[in-house]
Amino acid sequence: MMDVFANLWLGLGVSVEPMNLLYCFLGALIGTLIGVLPGLGPTATVALLLPITFYLPPVGALIMLAGIFYGAQYGGSTTAILVKLPGESSSVMTCLDGNAMARQGRGGVALATAALASLFAGIVTTLVIAVAGPPLAGVALAFGPSEYVALMLVGLIGAVILAHGSVVKAVAMILIGLLLSMVGTDVNSGQMRFTFDIPQLYDGLDFVPLAMGLFGLADIIINLEETEGRGIEPSPIHRLWPSWQDFKDAWPAAVRGTALGAFLGILPGGGATLSAFSSYALEKKVARDPSAFGKGAIQGVAGPEAANNAGAQASFIPMLSLGIPSNAVMALMIGAMMIHGITPGPQIMTKQPDLFWGMIASMLVGNIMLVVLNLPLIGIWVRLLRVPYAYLFPAILVFCCIGTYSLRNDVFDVVMMAGFGLFGYVLKKLDCEPAPLLLGFVLGPLLEENLSRAMLLSHGDLGIFVSRPISAGLMAVAAGLLALILLPAFRRQREVAFKE
Amino acid sequence: MTHTLRSPRPAAFRLRSPQDLAAGLLLAAIALGGLWLARNWEAGSLALMQAGFFPRLVCYFLLLSGLATMFRALTADAPAALAWAWRPSVAITVAVVAFAALLDKLGLVLAILALIGIGGLAGRPLRPGPFTALWATLASACVAIFSWGLGLPLQIWP
Repeated sequence: MMDVFANLWLGLGVSVEPMNLLYCFLGALIGTLIGVLPGLGPTATVALLLPITFYLPPVGALIMLAGIFYGAQYGGSTTAILVKLPGESSSVMTCLDGNAMARQGRGGVALATAALASLFAGIVTTLVIAVAGPPLAGVALAFGPSEYVALMLVGLIGAVILAHGSVVKAVAMILIGLLLSMVGTDVNSGQMRFTFDIPQLYDGLDFVPLAMGLFGLADIIINLEETEGRGIEPSPIHRLWPSWQDFKDAWPAAVRGTALGAFLGILPGGGATLSAFSSYALEKKVARDPSAFGKGAIQGVAGPEAANNAGAQASFIPMLSLGIPSNAVMALMIGAMMIHGITPGPQIMTKQPDLFWGMIASMLVGNIMLVVLNLPLIGIWVRLLRVPYAYLFPAILVFCCIGTYSLRNDVFDVVMMAGFGLFGYVLKKLDCEPAPLLLGFVLGPLLEENLSRAMLLSHGDLGIFVSRPISAGLMAVAAGLLALILLPAFRRQREVAFKE
Repeated sequence: MTHTLRSPRPAAFRLRSPQDLAAGLLLAAIALGGLWLARNWEAGSLALMQAGFFPRLVCYFLLLSGLATMFRALTADAPAALAWAWRPSVAITVAVVAFAALLDKLGLVLAILALIGIGGLAGRPLRPGPFTALWATLASACVAIFSWGLGLPLQIWP
């Protein structure tokens, strides 16, 4: 235990060196500013800014990249809350209640809650990484294909809880998301699936045009329809900072979100996304008044925000200690390390302790800096909400289009976004929710790959899901969730049916 | 309750929720379309899944949920509103497609003009003065951020 603090102390020493502090600050600042632009999520932001860090010393470069990553993550939450545009799958849940709060004039409260919940999650997760990072990395290794399948089933069934209306429609949305995730070349056989011979689809669909269309564009159409072209009126701002009551409502959600995120973030794949979705579903289940969710429940912001930050941070564990990238951003980080001649892996801790611990300590510093940076900005962001909609929505359109274009410099993605915008509007008309669709889309490739791998290992025996302890436990959770959803829904449906 | 319990069947064939019927039809159509597209892909077996296995599995479940939704349209009441807002939906879609079509040919500045010009028709269009100011602001902000700041290879003028 003393070791940990000695190490953390060493790391803090590295990270508060003036130059490193400056890199961390610059990274968080630039990351926030770019991440706020719709369409530029953390992955795109880190990729775009990667070249800047080539000229820095290795430790400084990694600290700056980590700063950019946190900044972009937080900037994405800001856009999600202010204009309901998720730039990354993990901020989809923040959109729902965060934007509802903003429309009630509680945008400042939502932004502050997101910042403080993220800060809490960031600090706790950093300590978790410092204390238990290396042994926790083993958890990722204990997860075989069948465990992943079971975990994803839990996540997908959990996503059904977060939908408002019909259970069947929520399931259908997940299935459509899975279907969309198959577009492209099948990894194993090279078979083209749902590509319609369009070369741009050979690599699959990207998350950004899909999310921007389903949320951003569809939302503009719906707003204009509901207000007959006038657009939403900015509601007066009652208060900028959370009240004592807000704080009391939010903190348990942030604690639960942190725990979920710290655990799920370690696992490769949609760690941060899955934890944000699960946290929202959990909050909705434990809430005294679940009907408040989607209409501006502060728990619906605090939980997922804590979870996605904890998840994002925890994804550094397998990256640093095993050299396994658990998502695209971590793959970019590994790339950056390689350029600086560092090979991530178990030996990094003993061979380059200043780098390893410096980076972990800079997570602490970075998270605090991010809040210091962003709390004063809240006043400015909230003013953005007061821009009349006739000016705001063309601006959103422009940034959506360029943000999407910037992914691959291909206008095809922009056309796809227009199509998904229309599809999102159809879904809204049919009372179907896009959030479960996005989760299905993100988890689709992992689910298919692990399902086929698990079946290959067991020679087609489905019993593998219940014979392995972790997977059996997860399956039991999935079955329990399913029962929890189906029983009340079934009862309600019967009541409606019998009322006649 | 037990006394008033009648079989819902006689009244059940009345369409109560056109919304659910439309949703069910859409889901079923997507599922059947997916199955048709996947008709030639090898499915393999459970032990050795091929490219066609997962798409079919998902499509069958989707078909099932489509049918269930259609069934619900007969049993559960829902708001009948299925109005379609033509003006915003068409204007936004056309505006974004026009941006995509013009960007490579006429450059960013004019593509933004088309985007906010057509897109503006979705709501109440701005008067010429404010419109020009908005155009100038957005175009210069985009050039500054994306072209100079991030170094994206964007064509700015025709």
